[in-house]
Amino acid sequence: MVKLRSRCLLVGDAAVGKSALSQMFRSDGAHFQKNYSMTAGVELVVKSVNIPETSDSVELYIFDSAGRETFVEACEKLWGQPSVLCLVFDVSSELSFSSCGRWLERVRAHCQGLHIPGVLVGNKSDLSSRREVETSVAQEWAQSQGLQYHETSAKEMENCEAPFLSLAQLFHALYQDRLQTIQNLA
Amino acid sequence: MIDPALGSLGAQIVLAASSDENHPPENIIDGNTETFWMSTGMFPQEFIIRFAESMKIALVTMHCYNVKTLKIEKSISDDATDFEAISEKEFEHTEGHLQTNDIPLNGTTATHLRFIVTSGYDHFVSVHRVSVE
Repeated sequence: MVKLRSRCLLVGDAAVGKSALSQMFRSDGAHFQKNYSMTAGVELVVKSVNIPETSDSVELYIFDSAGRETFVEACEKLWGQPSVLCLVFDVSSELSFSSCGRWLERVRAHCQGLHIPGVLVGNKSDLSSRREVETSVAQEWAQSQGLQYHETSAKEMENCEAPFLSLAQLFHALYQDRLQTIQNLA
Repeated sequence: MIDPALGSLGAQIVLAASSDENHPPENIIDGNTETFWMSTGMFPQEFIIRFAESMKIALVTMHCYNVKTLKIEKSISDDATDFEAISEKEFEHTEGHLQTNDIPLNGTTATHLRFIVTSGYDHFVSVHRVSVE
């Protein structure tokens, strides 16, 4: 049995639903905040995820970081050295999707050349009539950046666990891989 | 050379920040570089070695992998309190073989040594052996 710990950076433009997503995940769907409240700094959400078919778990330390440009620079100081990345956009906002490349660059600057597993999340999938970003387009971009793609609706409690479970599994796989490498050294 | 860091001579690990059941921190003081303690994510990571009795330490040798920066603190109390910093090192990155580093401690007296890995070259680091002279 291993209990891993992972520093999960949660980023993306303001108002795409990062906090809603992390709160839904934390509360197992019990807590959807209807009124928007802007995150000005970094909020920490800690939750442990069990890895299916093992007795292992990954404790995710989710750093829910403000999306609004004014706050980003101050927030970056708190990012530290991330283990995994959750990059969120709003499927009803082309603009939030086009910002993803910039977010990715920002995060990579904190990784000191280290590969970090990541997911791309298209949130607000319930707004189908206002959708501006097609699933296939997002999927393709995610793949080109080595990210797994998920669509969620924090409002409808749709799929909110999936991105975090993916991240936990990716991090767990990374641990197994590194463990193997080290065992081969000895 | 007698190595008092060896578990068989009464040294103990009294704290480790991470633990994989299969790679426990006791592997650090079993005198064998094939067994190791593995950190399980995020930094800093630390472990504390307690010696059977207070001793003078000239040199610490550490076999590890992916450790970038290391701080060493010592305590002269019986119950692992009041640590003071005594050394800070940056290790070179190695690939395909372990990092082996000697850290001179100039005959300092200690009952406990605390090793703090403040950063690594990867998400995880391993420590295979610590020995003291």
